[in-house]
Parts: sequence; C-alpha cells; structure tokens
Amino acid sequence: MLCLTIATSMATILTGCAKDPLKNLTEDESRIYITNHDSTYNFTSAQTFTIADSVAVISNGQLVGKDLTSYDQQLIASLKTAMTKQGFTLVDKSSAPDLALAVTIYSSDQTGVISYNDYGGYYGDYWDPYYWGYPGYSYYYPSYYGVYNYNETTLAIDMFDLKDAAGSNQLKNVWSALVRGSGIFNPAKVDTQVQTLFDQSAYLKTN
Amino acid sequence: MKTIKIFFLVVLSGFCFSRLQAQQGVTRISIGYTAGFPTSKFKDFISDASFRGMDLRVLHGINDKLSVGFGTGFQDFYQKYPRQVYKLSDGSDVSAVISNSVQTVPLLARAQYSFTPGKRIQPFVGVGAGGNMVLYRQYLGEFEGSKNKFAFQAQPEAGFYIPFKPGGIAGISLSGYYNIIPFKYNNTGNLNSVGFTVGVAFPTGN
Repeated sequence: MLCLTIATSMATILTGCAKDPLKNLTEDESRIYITNHDSTYNFTSAQTFTIADSVAVISNGQLVGKDLTSYDQQLIASLKTAMTKQGFTLVDKSSAPDLALAVTIYSSDQTGVISYNDYGGYYGDYWDPYYWGYPGYSYYYPSYYGVYNYNETTLAIDMFDLKDAAGSNQLKNVWSALVRGSGIFNPAKVDTQVQTLFDQSAYLKTN
Repeated sequence: MKTIKIFFLVVLSGFCFSRLQAQQGVTRISIGYTAGFPTSKFKDFISDASFRGMDLRVLHGINDKLSVGFGTGFQDFYQKYPRQVYKLSDGSDVSAVISNSVQTVPLLARAQYSFTPGKRIQPFVGVGAGGNMVLYRQYLGEFEGSKNKFAFQAQPEAGFYIPFKPGGIAGISLSGYYNIIPFKYNNTGNLNSVGFTVGVAFPTGN
C-alpha cells in the first residue's frame, strides 16, 4: 500500500515532465470523423436526395431551434455538392426523393453518452417526420450503431431512406456522420470536413 | 540549460563526498538520465524511442561487491500517428490522428554486484524487481482513453561504474537494462523496453 502511494505520488509529480499529447495537436488533428451505415442498405438503389433547409440546434437534449447561419448555408451547400459528386440528384422534398439528409448540432455541458438507439428515439422531436412528408412515422436506427461520449459540441449528419419508408412506417437511418473536436465551425474547413466524411464512406454512391 | 546546471551541481557534490574507501557499509545515491526503447508488443503501440527519463537509486554496500537498495525513476513514451481511418467493432469508421502516451514510474528493490571493486573501471550486474505505476493514455484526436495500473516489473541490468578518483566512491555510472512489465489493455501487450542510463553516484553522509 505504501509502495502504491509512493509510486502514485511520484507518477503525479513526474508526469508533469511528460510530453502533453494535446499540446502537440493542431486544430485539424484534434478532430475525429465517425461514420456508420446500414450495411444491408443498397445505396445504388437510390438516385435522388433532398436536404433540410436549416440546421437543428440541440442543447442538453432539448431542441433550441432551427438555424440557418452563413456557416449552416455553407455546410448544406457542401453536402449537396458532395452528394451530387457521388452520383445522386438533388430534388425538392416534394418530388419524392429516395434519401433525406438532415444536419444537427448537439451541444452539451454535461458528461454523458450518445447512444444512437436513444438518439433515434428523440430524433422525431428534432426533425418531425412530417417535414419529409411522412406524418406519424417514426425514426429507426439499426441496433449496431455506436455509443459515444459527449461533453462538447458535435456536428451530426443523418441520412434516411424515404424510398422504402411506406412499407415499414419508419424512416430508417442508413448513414450517420459525426464530427467532433476543435474548430468544427471554422467556415474555411467546411468542405474538407465534408470531403473527409465522404472519403471514408466509399459505399455512398449510385454505381 | 537549467537541467545542465543541476547536472553539474550533482557532479560537483559527488566530488565533495568522494572518499577513498571500500563500498562496504556505504550508502550511495545515484541520479541518472535515461533513454528507453520499446520492444516486442510495446513497439506496436509506440515505436519511437523516449529520451525523457530519469533514474534515482539508493544502494547500501553489504560488502565490497554486493549492494542492495531501491530505485525509482520515470520514462515518458509518446508517439503521434498521422490521420488514418480505423474500422471499429460496431461497424463504424473513424478517421483520427492517434496519439499514444505511456509514462512508467518504477519502484524497485535492487541488488547490484560489482566484479572489480576498487578498480578504475568497475563492471557490474544488477537486478531490480517490484512494481511500476503505468499511466497509459490513447487519444483519438483530442479525445482521451486512459488506464492507470500498478504493474509488476523486473529489470536485469549490466553496466560500468567509473569512480572520479581511483578507489573513490563517487563516480559515473553507465548501464543498460531490460524492463519487463506485464501489461494488457485493449490491444496493447507487455510494456517491455530496453533502457540506457548515464548518471552520477555519490555517498550519503561522511
């Protein structure tokens, strides 16, 4: 016990001499990009997409409102460009798109976890399925989606299958992306961040 | 610069305490600078050498050849890997710059055997055994995962002791050793490493 106390005290004092990994990270290096998808979904069966015209801002689990700052506009435009580059065609939400994209910004001053399953349960509070033309539907997230810690601001992009919604009465999440870290909301980094998400999602294309 | 000044102060104090006598009954402190080189599984986690370390030991001469005592120290291992996409078990893909960081603080019982006490160059072998406070951290970007553990450690060693004066007790010590630290966390295996130390040794009291 004495040894453990001495060693712990020594460790505490001496780790002050250690190289601090966080101080050796640039803002770009601090960010992580997480994507996941429904592996049973065939993205080549989808041709068209639509994207929400604003960004939902969620603070401590509560919807603060929908926003459209210049950053939000730039992000939505960048997503449209990336999707188009992958072969999808942008259409109005009234034209029965196959896929729908929504952008959400989560902020929290609490330490906790995001579970995609829980996340799916609340998602209807943030983005009413009515918005996509599917009133009374619910959102569905595949069970294998991950759980992540959060105590910061996170940018989330979700993609839903509208094409097959009628059969299941559900808007199934087929692709999700999270960006976490410093400098997320730097306008100069928007295109790079979107490109990184699409680069690691090679399956996200029409052919 | 501050480090160099401290080093010279320590060397100077070593001269002051230097005496012409055998090491039997004498307690000697040595302070050294250390470098560590990860081996085996540890290399998969951090392959870069560490040049941030120190060693402190206190040894008491049982007779002219054999000394026993204890030692502690510090070694800081760190490596940053460029951005890469990692596949996680839940099916997600994570693009991240990964930084791995390990600090080791040994607390060892030591024994040292000198082959030629009183000679100008005194080769010795030693062994240390005890515990090591391991501070293990892995960062995905700025997000940390950590594990602190008091692990077993064994440390065979060989080196040379060169007294400042013929037959003196204060002098310079040079040695190489192998750290055996069983450890298992995530995909990381034992934190074994090769180390080298150069230091000064001086007796305590008169």
